[in-house]
Amino acid sequence: MSTPGLSAMREQALGEVSAAPTVSDLEAARVRWLGRSGVLTAALRSVATLPLEERRPFGATANALKDELEAALVEKKRALEGVSLEGRFAAEREDLTLPPRRLRLGRLHPISQTIREVSRIFATMGFETVEGPEVEWDYYNFEALNIPKGHPARDKFNTLWIANPLGDDPERPVLLRTHTSPMQIRVMEARRPPIRVCVPGRCYRFEATDATHESVFFMYEGLAIDEHLSMADLKGVLYSFARQLFGGERKVKFRPDYFPFTEPSAEIAFDCFVCDGTGRTSAGSCRTCGGSGWIEAAGCGMVHPEVLRRVGYDPEHHQGFAFGGGIERLAMLLTGTPDIRLFGQNDLRFLESF
Amino acid sequence: MLIKIPLSWLREHVAVTAGATEVAHALHMAGTEVDRVERAGDGWEQIWVGRVTALAPHPNADKLTLATVEYGGGRVKTVVTGAPNLAVGAIVPYAEIGARLRDGHGDGTTWITLEPRKIRGVLSEGMVCSARELGLGDDHDGILVLDPDAPVGAHLADVIGETVLHLELQPNRPDCLGVRGVAREVSALFRLPLRPPSLEPLAFGTLDPATLAVRIEDAEGCPRFTAAYLEDVRVGPSPLWMQERLVAAGMRAIDVVVDVTNYVMLELGQPLHAYDATKLRGRTLVARRARAGETLRTLDDVERVLDPSILVIADLERPLGLAGILGGEDSEIGPRTTTVALEAAAFDPRGIGRTAAALGLQGSAGSAAARRFAWALSPALPPVALARAVRLLREHAGARLVGALDVHPGPIAPRPVTLRFDDVERVLGAAVSNEEIADALGRLGCTVAADGERLTVTAPPIRTDIAIAEDVVEEVARIVGYDRIPTRIPSGTLPLRVAHPVEEFREGVRDALVACGLQEIVSPSLLDPAWLGLLTADGSAIAPAPLLVQNPTSADRSAARTTLRASLLDVARRNLRHREGVALFELAPVYLPRRGDLPEERSTCAVLLAGAAEPVAAGETWRGGGRPFDLGDLGGVLDGLGRLLRVSGRGEPASAPGLHPGRSRAFVRDGRTVLAYGQLDPRVAARWDLPEHTYLAELDLELVRGEASAPVATVPPRFPAAYRDLAVIVDEKVPYGDLEREIRAAMKSGLERIALLDLYRGPQAGEGKKSFAVRLTFRAADATLDDADLDRAMGRIVGRLRHALGADIR
Repeated sequence: MSTPGLSAMREQALGEVSAAPTVSDLEAARVRWLGRSGVLTAALRSVATLPLEERRPFGATANALKDELEAALVEKKRALEGVSLEGRFAAEREDLTLPPRRLRLGRLHPISQTIREVSRIFATMGFETVEGPEVEWDYYNFEALNIPKGHPARDKFNTLWIANPLGDDPERPVLLRTHTSPMQIRVMEARRPPIRVCVPGRCYRFEATDATHESVFFMYEGLAIDEHLSMADLKGVLYSFARQLFGGERKVKFRPDYFPFTEPSAEIAFDCFVCDGTGRTSAGSCRTCGGSGWIEAAGCGMVHPEVLRRVGYDPEHHQGFAFGGGIERLAMLLTGTPDIRLFGQNDLRFLESF
Repeated sequence: MLIKIPLSWLREHVAVTAGATEVAHALHMAGTEVDRVERAGDGWEQIWVGRVTALAPHPNADKLTLATVEYGGGRVKTVVTGAPNLAVGAIVPYAEIGARLRDGHGDGTTWITLEPRKIRGVLSEGMVCSARELGLGDDHDGILVLDPDAPVGAHLADVIGETVLHLELQPNRPDCLGVRGVAREVSALFRLPLRPPSLEPLAFGTLDPATLAVRIEDAEGCPRFTAAYLEDVRVGPSPLWMQERLVAAGMRAIDVVVDVTNYVMLELGQPLHAYDATKLRGRTLVARRARAGETLRTLDDVERVLDPSILVIADLERPLGLAGILGGEDSEIGPRTTTVALEAAAFDPRGIGRTAAALGLQGSAGSAAARRFAWALSPALPPVALARAVRLLREHAGARLVGALDVHPGPIAPRPVTLRFDDVERVLGAAVSNEEIADALGRLGCTVAADGERLTVTAPPIRTDIAIAEDVVEEVARIVGYDRIPTRIPSGTLPLRVAHPVEEFREGVRDALVACGLQEIVSPSLLDPAWLGLLTADGSAIAPAPLLVQNPTSADRSAARTTLRASLLDVARRNLRHREGVALFELAPVYLPRRGDLPEERSTCAVLLAGAAEPVAAGETWRGGGRPFDLGDLGGVLDGLGRLLRVSGRGEPASAPGLHPGRSRAFVRDGRTVLAYGQLDPRVAARWDLPEHTYLAELDLELVRGEASAPVATVPPRFPAAYRDLAVIVDEKVPYGDLEREIRAAMKSGLERIALLDLYRGPQAGEGKKSFAVRLTFRAADATLDDADLDRAMGRIVGRLRHALGADIR
């Protein structure tokens, strides 16, 4: 064989490689030329049979051809594979706008979310979250809070009274707590100042239900007792709470109010989210705020000296403040929920919006 | 208490020129809550003052009349009316076509727009209006007849339009129960003088006891009793201006005597009572406790049996009325009454409150008098109110004062409050100068005596609520404004936080169940006790008898739940009306009654799965969606909860009432159910309109929490695992759990996992048998296991299964 023979071989081999339509055709070409009994392999093996002076040039040319052919094979293979991947991707195309597989998602009820948020914010100001009984003695709900029997303030707390199937003691009436304030007494009885607690929990009133009233609802309570606490501290805590909860976008109002267990007493209100504080909507007077433009968020005040004395504290030495408000009110403000009854109805179409 | 203050009446007592909005805002920010400001003339643009110029019978209806009304500028219209009280010449409100009116037959909140309408064949061109149609009160018996001097053709709003402040008063401020009390607040806030009221001078003690005597037998219940004796009283309608004010303030006009007592009550806050003096036996009024068994027919037409806890006003023979609460029929003023004994007394507010509550007459159910007397009205009020009422009765009912009495056995001396000026800053945290403090208190009518750093404050007698230093501080704060109080974050020692393991575990459960893909619900803790009988097929209870609400708002909120199950079934049922499947949980206490104590509020968790397992939109079958929930799903939730919180909820096996007997399990510990779960009894499911595929689990969180351990880190293993498969044929009655238990018992260590590959029943296993195929994963912490190790382990396991379960190993 001669060098010109190699040149013809080269032309034919490279032609076959470049013309291979598929990867398997290419592989067949590789085997024919470079396989164990391939044409070029045989040619290389035949070098030993050549005359001495021909061996070197022939060998060099044949090896160069082998390298060239291998490179062409790699390049062609890469090209062919590229073409087939493209085809594969095209064939595998999917419509990503089709509905996905729906996962079952777990969610907290908005009441739980709000209670957690309230507790978290008050915790940043040192208030520890504690809980207390919902079924309560008249003593803790009223008497100890400076609301004796016959006190007109009892009319405000329309009470649901409890009958025990195991028997009632007429001397110790049992009720469903009308507010979380009984925990003020229970905490003060169990601890000594300084005290800072936050009490979320369910409360009950004998009440006709409407868009902003429920007979079973949730409240949060705060109590702080120390040596030098004042109304300024109370106002600071509640304003800070409002800013953290609403991001400073709500207007806040702080005005005198009355509770038998605080003196002085105050009310904190936020501007109504439905009518933006105007008291009017396109349908007339705003139903959510009753047309006032404000939504009462908490009642508060300095703990009444009589209440402190009753738990054995010396009002000359210790004073503090308490506050209490509705969880649902906050949840309504936070989520734009127009009707408090939605929280208790547990319609999943509503709950899944949180 | 909600009271209505007509602005014109307020201005009679204090010459405030500020508008209604400004007055309302000032009152509100100083503590008198303004519920709303009502302008009665709002929307009256097409209502005029008219005069009836002619009346003619309706051609087609006996009870209807055609009234011709002239309303200025020659405008004349004819309207059809059924009102019985029209006369030619009467001045009446006339509403044009297009005017907006309240529906006289509705509940007072619906509005109608007047349209031309034929009534029994005759066109009515507008309408003459009743008080109710104008929103001025409840009176719909006849047309509102106006003052004869009212200018015909004027806008009605300009003649009787009234702005009314609706105030929500708190019981510490009985002094604001009348127009004058609110005027006193306005005078303090706007620095304006209070105008003196027009009073009849009363010479107390001039009355001959043979004419009228007053005796107080219970000075605690009735500390003061003033009375006047009036003759020549003409009982007839009160003047129109008085009627209008009564209506504007929310009361009805009745006759001049009753109207005057109501007018004075609305003006001064002090209720009065008028007796027909000829009905008094022994010409004596006695304030005493009722005797056991005495009876009284009260003005609400109820025959009441009295007892000694009740204070009555009596004559010498019988009770005449419930003191301060409700009068009696016997001594009621009638059209022929000419002699009147007028009572203005002070009563112990707690006594009134207790009696009113005991008789079901408290709060809004009670009389206007009882509501006021339940608050601590000033004992200084009765003589003033009496003098005011006598003046009005003399002017408008021709009454002649014979004499008056004031029985006041133990007048209470004013009790000054002593405090330091710096108490204001101590309580408020705001600096208020001594001069400002004295000025604020002076504006409220307090007498202030300063002595260096101390001041002594004597509140005006009308203010019964100022008793301690904090009360004085609040007064100062109200007047200088709560806006003066700065905001500050409390400083001082922070108390150490106490751990709350029960609550923290409960919150962990809440998060874990959310992580398992369940929706939390929060349902009312009061429910219909009948529900508790619908939780088992035979109606037997699954929980103790519940606490009952004595005075429920409705039957479906009358029992404190002893289980969460009913609430979940109800929520599931309602949601399954609009979706294919639900996966819910609730965490809440159940209320378990205890004898002689508050109930145990046991922290409980309940889970419910029902319907379609995949949360697809209704009707969406793309990507499946047809599979219903099964027991494995419920087990998966419990397994997930157990793995997230490292608990299992085990105890002694027990049955689970209300669940499918073959598809449920329960565990008890010390007689308490730790965990019950399974498929809802299909008969119960049907009763609640729930699908058969309804699965429930209930956990006692306190008991489950007892098992929880702190997390311990698992380090990924360094040595490879080895696997062996095993086919175990056992009797049909052997549960899979026993197989796992025995395998684990055989291998104290080195066995990492048991995976169930298949459960086979059929000829290969044999009659009454089943075959479990399991894959065992072995791994040692410190070495690679070789075949010899595995053979030894398998030998032990196989031996144990043969011995303990009679298993056949293949």
